[in-house]
Amino acid sequence: MARAKAAQQQPAATGMTLIVLVGLAIAFLLFMAFLNVVKSGSLLNETNLLYAALIFYAGAGALYLGFGVTGTESYVKFASLATWLGLLANTGAVAHRWYESGHPPFASVYEMLLSFVWTLAALTLIAEKKYGVKVIGTVTMPVAIVGVVLMQLLRTDVHPLVPALQSTWLHVHVTLAMLAYAACALSFALAMMFLIQDKMKTETFLAVTSAFTAAIYLGTLTRFEKWGGLNLVAWNAEEKSEVFLSKGVRLFVTIPDLGWLMLLALIVVTSPLAFFAISRWKKDESFLAMANRAVFVSILVQVLALVMFLTDARGGLYRSLDAEGQFSTSLAASPFILSGLVGGIFMSLLYLLLLWRREDLERLLPDADNLDRITYKTISIAFPLLTLMIAAGAYWANQTWGSYWSWDPKETWAAITWLVYAGYLHMRVTRGWRGRRAAYFAILGFGVVMFTFFGVTYLLPGLHAYA
Amino acid sequence: MTVEFRSLPRKTWQTFASIKTGVVLLILVVIFSAAGTIVLQRPITEPDDMQSAYSAQALRILDATGLTDVFHASWFIALMFLVSISIIAASIERFPNAWRYFSRPYKYAEEGFRRSLHPQKQVTIADEESGLVAAERALHSFGLRPERVVREDHFSIFAERSRISEMGVYIVHASLLLIFCGGIVDGIWGWRGSLNLNEGETSSAVEMRNGAAKALPFSIRCDSTGQENYKDGSPKKWWSKLAVVQDGRDVQKKEIVVNDPLVYAGVRFYQSSFGSNGKVDQLLLEATPVTGSGEKREIAFALNDTAPLDADTTVRFAEFIPDFAVRDGQVYRRSNQLGNPAALLVVSAKSSGQTFNVWLPPMNGVGDNAKAPFQFEPKDLKLGHFTGLQVSHEPGQWAVWGGVLLMGVGLTFVFYVVHVRFWAVPVRDPKTGKFALWIGGSANRNRDAFEQRFNDLVAKVETELKSIHKTSSSEQVETAAGR
Repeated sequence: MARAKAAQQQPAATGMTLIVLVGLAIAFLLFMAFLNVVKSGSLLNETNLLYAALIFYAGAGALYLGFGVTGTESYVKFASLATWLGLLANTGAVAHRWYESGHPPFASVYEMLLSFVWTLAALTLIAEKKYGVKVIGTVTMPVAIVGVVLMQLLRTDVHPLVPALQSTWLHVHVTLAMLAYAACALSFALAMMFLIQDKMKTETFLAVTSAFTAAIYLGTLTRFEKWGGLNLVAWNAEEKSEVFLSKGVRLFVTIPDLGWLMLLALIVVTSPLAFFAISRWKKDESFLAMANRAVFVSILVQVLALVMFLTDARGGLYRSLDAEGQFSTSLAASPFILSGLVGGIFMSLLYLLLLWRREDLERLLPDADNLDRITYKTISIAFPLLTLMIAAGAYWANQTWGSYWSWDPKETWAAITWLVYAGYLHMRVTRGWRGRRAAYFAILGFGVVMFTFFGVTYLLPGLHAYA
Repeated sequence: MTVEFRSLPRKTWQTFASIKTGVVLLILVVIFSAAGTIVLQRPITEPDDMQSAYSAQALRILDATGLTDVFHASWFIALMFLVSISIIAASIERFPNAWRYFSRPYKYAEEGFRRSLHPQKQVTIADEESGLVAAERALHSFGLRPERVVREDHFSIFAERSRISEMGVYIVHASLLLIFCGGIVDGIWGWRGSLNLNEGETSSAVEMRNGAAKALPFSIRCDSTGQENYKDGSPKKWWSKLAVVQDGRDVQKKEIVVNDPLVYAGVRFYQSSFGSNGKVDQLLLEATPVTGSGEKREIAFALNDTAPLDADTTVRFAEFIPDFAVRDGQVYRRSNQLGNPAALLVVSAKSSGQTFNVWLPPMNGVGDNAKAPFQFEPKDLKLGHFTGLQVSHEPGQWAVWGGVLLMGVGLTFVFYVVHVRFWAVPVRDPKTGKFALWIGGSANRNRDAFEQRFNDLVAKVETELKSIHKTSSSEQVETAAGR
């Protein structure tokens, strides 16, 4: 990513520079990884494969981003090559996992992410080759990278299947879910591109980016503790699980001063929105320039916040307000905050890309009508998959729990997702909703999907505890 | 006035049929069901947890509004009912048009239709017949079955495929209603409960969700039950051998596991849990006399059994505590989970009339372990197990599965089957008097791909025309030569 940014500052550089840089970076990382492999003695284990996938996806992401910035066609070739290699390594990791555990990798959040990233990379290649949406990797690859990084933090030991999961329907249900969710992710990316192609004002993206990142930090600050601390869930490294005070009540540790930093970050990421509001109110364009500068500053502060969060969460023992003694925490205990922080930085970077290279982007993307149509097509694939996923889940639930529908939170949210997309289809077909409104709907739908996938698992209790 | 009276039901009907109402209702369903996942729900959450989560007043309000049991609240059911009505009304309102469209296909392209249709194209032809034949051959080669439509003074061609696709939406809506019907049937006549059976026990009383008991018209017996573990100790499989007993006869037997229930007379028995019932099946002991040269002997007995130790002494297995704690010289039962078991043995000597309480394991200050004439060492403990069964009766589930299948079919029609139509009409240019074949096509979805197909068809018609022209001109030459 840093290299891609370096390239952004000097777009005049020849096309080869970035490729060479990314190639060197990949080679360097692979070499470092190889040293590690020699030390550990086994080449093809899951960790190494996943690491290789991460390296290739990162390289592909950088190249796609470079393509987005400079429009150099040759980047795409190398980017899809890197994606192919990443997919290959990812396939290896999936196969290894499958072989080791004796069941397809769908049984835990970690395994689901493994399959999700695989599907996403495969769909990226399909979208690129079949529909010619070359920039899609700019969005999907960073998502894949975040996915792989998250996986490193989640528990990886192979768990045998608990009795309820020993069913063919598990595989049917989860495969369908992965396909459906990946298709939803794709429709989301396409809808975003549509908005760019549809001449939506750059300021609007600015406001949304600022509001989104502000929401992330606001959410993080719900854990703010008196005198500038930040509460994080305590983590038991030996058992690889959160520490519970009693059933369902987690133990929190307070990291001193991190709360202040998050508060500062909140103020900084909100400032572009404030400048935007002022420019609207005073009808003065010069405030927009300040807003854009504020985004740049906010990225620096966000990176600082992320680094501090990473170092604080990884090392050290902290006091807790609820129990005596000192406890450690881990990144795995706060997957939401971590993905939020990374997501915020990613979103801000994407905004800068849009700000600086809008014209090139518009030239590279398919035209708005086409994007609108492809979005609809993707959803018309996602919707039947969602339906089948719910049906398979209901059938399986009927076999296991004795009821096809129990209004469990996961079930209910799957139904809500289904309804949102059903709403999209109805509005499109009967009301002729095209373009922006349809794109907003597609974006909303993906938001609900993400909540169903992650939010329900971590926030709402229920039967569906495995993932 | 009468007009208004008559139009009021009509208006209500149309309000229900409008897409706006449908969407508003859907949004309401989304909001309330989301609320139902965020607010803790009644039957699943323990009352204590509810009280600790919400203040008394908040809980009162939540309970009064039904937000603590959203999915069974009357207003939620009413909402689902309104959604059903909306789907029915919308379908009925739109169905006649669609049915007309479906049952009486538009086969002849009128002039006005010809003017506005896209895509369309005109190909010059020598005469009507050759144009029609060329169109027929081209359509045949596309795997369609063209038919000739007869008009007063000329023929035209019509061909189509997958007209059923137009009905897809109605199939999907009907399937949704079928699923709702199944849900309603289960809501009214279905029930769910649980039944815990010890090994060897027979029962016909199911404990319902609300705590009431329901008597089954037959009873169920658990012959044996067990658990298999993975190497790391986590459970791999729970199984129970069940038998259905009716009128004193075993009518059905099955070993059930999780994911594979027993079904009898529409009632399903699911394996849901397994555990030790805290009761002891058999205790194996080794008894050694403290004095004298008596031999060691092994004793195996169940609770309340008495076994002889020698001619004068007997031992009775008086009490079993699965999880014990000692306080103030008393032994307490801490829980029913097998954790820290203790057994009380009562040793009686007939001649002296003395009895000794012996605790296993020995505890300081409790019992008469030291005074007893025998010492005991526990060898093995076999515990009784129970199987936890979920019992459910869902007479509506077949409507649900039927609905699901139907929805699959409907969605396939909606998204992946395209209704394709082609028309070919020979027309004469009023100015030049020359013949042309007007070709038009329509598809109900995926129009960009269809346009390519349409262009292919036109090209095919043109090549067919050329070949017809060739053969007919060579025929003409032949006939000319024959004359």
